[in-house]
Amino acid sequence: MMKRVLFGLLLCAMLVPGLMAATNEKVLITYSFWGTPDEAKVVQAQADKFNASQSRISVEVMAIPHDSYVTKLNTMATAKTLPDCGIMSEAGVLQFASNGLLADVSKMYGAKDSKPLDSLTFKYKGAPIAYSTANEILLLYYNKKMFDKAGVAYPPADAAKAWNWDQFVATAKLLTLDKNGNNAASPKFDAKNIVQYGAMVENLTWQLEVWALSNGSGFYSKDGSKVTINDPAAIDAIQKIADLNLVHHVAPLSTGMTDDAMQRSIIAGTCAMGTGGQWNIGTCLASARDQGIVDYGVAVLPFMKEKVTINTGGPNVVFSQSKHPAEAMEWVKWYAQEENSWGLIESGIWMPVLKKWYTDDKLTQKWAGNHNFPPYAQYKSAVVDYAMKYAKPASWYYVNNTNDFNTLLGSLLGEVWTGNKTAKDVITKGYASLVAACKGSN
Amino acid sequence: MRESKTGDRLATLILAALAALVMLPIWWMFRSSLMTNAELFAYPPPLAPSVWRFGNYRATLENFPFWIYFRNTMTIIIPSVVGGTLTATLAGYAFARLRFPGKDILFMLCIGSMLLPTMVTLIPLYIAWSRGLGLTDSYWPLILPFFCGGGAFNIFLIRQFIRTIPRELDEAAMIDGAGPFRILASIIVPSIKSAMIVVALLLFIGLWNDLLQQMIYINSGKNFTIALGLSQFKGSLQSDWSKIMCATCMSFVPGVVFYLVGQRYFVEGIVMTGLKS
Amino acid sequence: MPNKRKRKEATAAYLCLIPSIIGLIFITYLPLLSVFALSFFNWGSGAPDPKFIGLDNYVRLFTTDPYFLDSLRVTVVFAVLTVIGSMIYSLFIAMLLNRKIPARGFLRAVFYLPYVLPSMAVYIGWSWLYEANFGLFNYFLSLLGAEKMKFIADGRLVVPSLALIGVWLSGNLIVIFLAGLQNVPRVYHEAALIDGANSFQRFRHVTIPCMTPIIFYNLLMALINNMQIVTPALALTNGGPGNESRFITYLMYQSAFINNHLGYGSSVSTVFFVIIAIFTVILFLTSRNWVFYEGDGK
Repeated sequence: MMKRVLFGLLLCAMLVPGLMAATNEKVLITYSFWGTPDEAKVVQAQADKFNASQSRISVEVMAIPHDSYVTKLNTMATAKTLPDCGIMSEAGVLQFASNGLLADVSKMYGAKDSKPLDSLTFKYKGAPIAYSTANEILLLYYNKKMFDKAGVAYPPADAAKAWNWDQFVATAKLLTLDKNGNNAASPKFDAKNIVQYGAMVENLTWQLEVWALSNGSGFYSKDGSKVTINDPAAIDAIQKIADLNLVHHVAPLSTGMTDDAMQRSIIAGTCAMGTGGQWNIGTCLASARDQGIVDYGVAVLPFMKEKVTINTGGPNVVFSQSKHPAEAMEWVKWYAQEENSWGLIESGIWMPVLKKWYTDDKLTQKWAGNHNFPPYAQYKSAVVDYAMKYAKPASWYYVNNTNDFNTLLGSLLGEVWTGNKTAKDVITKGYASLVAACKGSN
Repeated sequence: MRESKTGDRLATLILAALAALVMLPIWWMFRSSLMTNAELFAYPPPLAPSVWRFGNYRATLENFPFWIYFRNTMTIIIPSVVGGTLTATLAGYAFARLRFPGKDILFMLCIGSMLLPTMVTLIPLYIAWSRGLGLTDSYWPLILPFFCGGGAFNIFLIRQFIRTIPRELDEAAMIDGAGPFRILASIIVPSIKSAMIVVALLLFIGLWNDLLQQMIYINSGKNFTIALGLSQFKGSLQSDWSKIMCATCMSFVPGVVFYLVGQRYFVEGIVMTGLKS
Repeated sequence: MPNKRKRKEATAAYLCLIPSIIGLIFITYLPLLSVFALSFFNWGSGAPDPKFIGLDNYVRLFTTDPYFLDSLRVTVVFAVLTVIGSMIYSLFIAMLLNRKIPARGFLRAVFYLPYVLPSMAVYIGWSWLYEANFGLFNYFLSLLGAEKMKFIADGRLVVPSLALIGVWLSGNLIVIFLAGLQNVPRVYHEAALIDGANSFQRFRHVTIPCMTPIIFYNLLMALINNMQIVTPALALTNGGPGNESRFITYLMYQSAFINNHLGYGSSVSTVFFVIIAIFTVILFLTSRNWVFYEGDGK
């Protein structure tokens, strides 16, 4: 009997939120984004500001973990229960567009508005379909103390002085130490007992693209119509990353499966240099520096043949299943204004998307001139200017099915990182499948 | 059996050594939860924290809403376990004791479904729950199936157990005018309590570990279970490993408590469950 | 009178079985038919209607699919390794626990403990032991002067490494074995002792034969559970390195839910079902030769 009563109570408890929503008279808009419940509070606080600013629309935030974001949206699309709007994972934008799941956002920016950087526009069949809400580029971070200890000069923040690949590897060798304190350039170096690595190059599949570009090639042809990852230069670039660990012993083994590389490398003091997205400043480096755990600097990426970085950023979109597209659009547009997502920008998690922030020094000062950032001049050179002049959009801005493609490529490369196979073998052998994946037929 | 004294001593030694090995991963997680991140990444790794920072747990609770996740998990588990145990008992009773047309076919179908892994039917069930009934981001798809028999295996277990109870007891009650449900309530249930608890345990563990279905059916962070919360906590960009380890250790507690409370019954239930025939 | 009682009994039986019958229809057999039917369609989100494509999904699975065959292989290897490992481990522990030893309840709890921990948490914890560069196991290896191993980051070691966790998690088998050992009639052992059998002979000719039903039961359950393994791939490896932990259930999840091909995922499910059925049937058929039930006259 007791159990039955308990169960009845449970049922009631579950029904209550539903009933409460039904009594709300405003148009209720659900906005999904990736992040922890903690981050959800920050975004909900913004939404509450918007809700207070007018009387017709009420926005509720739904936080979905980053790792399963596309999966969740996919399943909700199948179930026809998508939220009204949300941030969209880059890898899913074109797929959603091609399936007609995105509402038209072309009118979001009027003719006179300052527009987002062109590299931040998602294009499907040449037409803009979504704009990134934030900008992110890939950088090289370094642990100052480890450089000072080895007496090695810091990596350059100025793209004009960027290291080429050999310089990068040579420096990494000086910073890789075995348990007897010999560095990797020394003949006495004991590669089996390494206690500190010189470099960690993030090998998440989408980030690898930058190295293919850097080596004068790419995963796809320029218009995204052809898969060119079997190009010798692209293969060579990937092999070079694997060789950092396999041949030069200057990098830890990383299998491209986790997203916490910055914690494990620069902050933990296990690697002197590491590549990663700009967001790391806000998500972990700033607080680690405040706590005195690490003193770090930012630099431009080393290059193989061409100086390049890639930029990315999830767009805010309105889903075509929404019953209130106009209201959803209103919120998205409001939220896209920098001052309304200022918390994320000034903390170093997001970079602004509008061009003026990069070209007008006063605005740049406002954005990056606070204590969350590395010294202003360094950041300006290694991030702001670098993003303006050297960033190319990641392929998911113009190639469909990157999710399938990246899953497969990640799977193929698994054996390359451990040295069981070469990049040439697996890519040549898997090329047909990669092409099929890019067409979305798997 | 004089020689077995040394044997017993040897067995104790081996068991103690193996127990230490078995506990090592758990100790490792626990000691990691009490360290700073710097200590955590130190190499060679220290076997114990230099300072036992229990404050890490308080700090973790600020980012990891354990109590919300715990409540959500229990919102799924409690009704499911209760429903599964009850309906399995009802079905097991019918198969063990009652005569009715179609019994053999139904029993065959029931046993046959034991061979069908739950994962196989995930896709159509997902489509039915979400697209058909519109139940996304809801606990219903996770709970309701447990009110439908609690799984063939558990029905079978209960049936076997009931068959070990002497029929004379039922018959005596029947002569006194008791109907099937009275018999079930007053005779059968009291004597198969431990089997029911075993079934409850099996259901609990199954639900506890079913990350995949939780991932599929639950969307928003506020509805997360402990397992989902952990996976999100691990994946969040600010992954702070000593806190992740705190969260991991916290998630151990409910299962351990459940075991400690029920352990006498599990062992008894498993010993008595007629696994033999 | 007897007729009335019969009817009453049948009514009661159907009432008792209503939930289970609903379950058998709606969450077992109907979905099984649907998954089979769906496997002949091409259907993803956005695409409004499923499109019938005949056997295409199956043809692709067995010819061009870059994951499927690897996936089958690693699932079977994992299941076999884990089942054998955990059977030996848990029988061994159970036999030791069945002796006169101090703190028996405590030790039993220790070995049982991993089983009641949420597996998601378990895999996160173990990932630290297995970490390829600075993990605990690698530290031990370096103390021994051995070369570092990459464990779950190495395609050749990932399955054995995960199988080891699977063995560690098999505390429930220990308790079931222990229960079985306690049910072995003492008289058999005593009779064997009088016949001069040593402890190994007693194990081989008394313990094992009495235990066969329980061994069979544990084997069956462990096999079905381990064939469905998916959590380590979800929690840790995402199926890698390469395809070496892309277990079949994970592949199904990947095709249907990550990459959104519901029809294709269904064809994976169907093949998976057939394979499990084959394994189970083989196990049942062979069991006639080695499982002895009391009073069977064998």
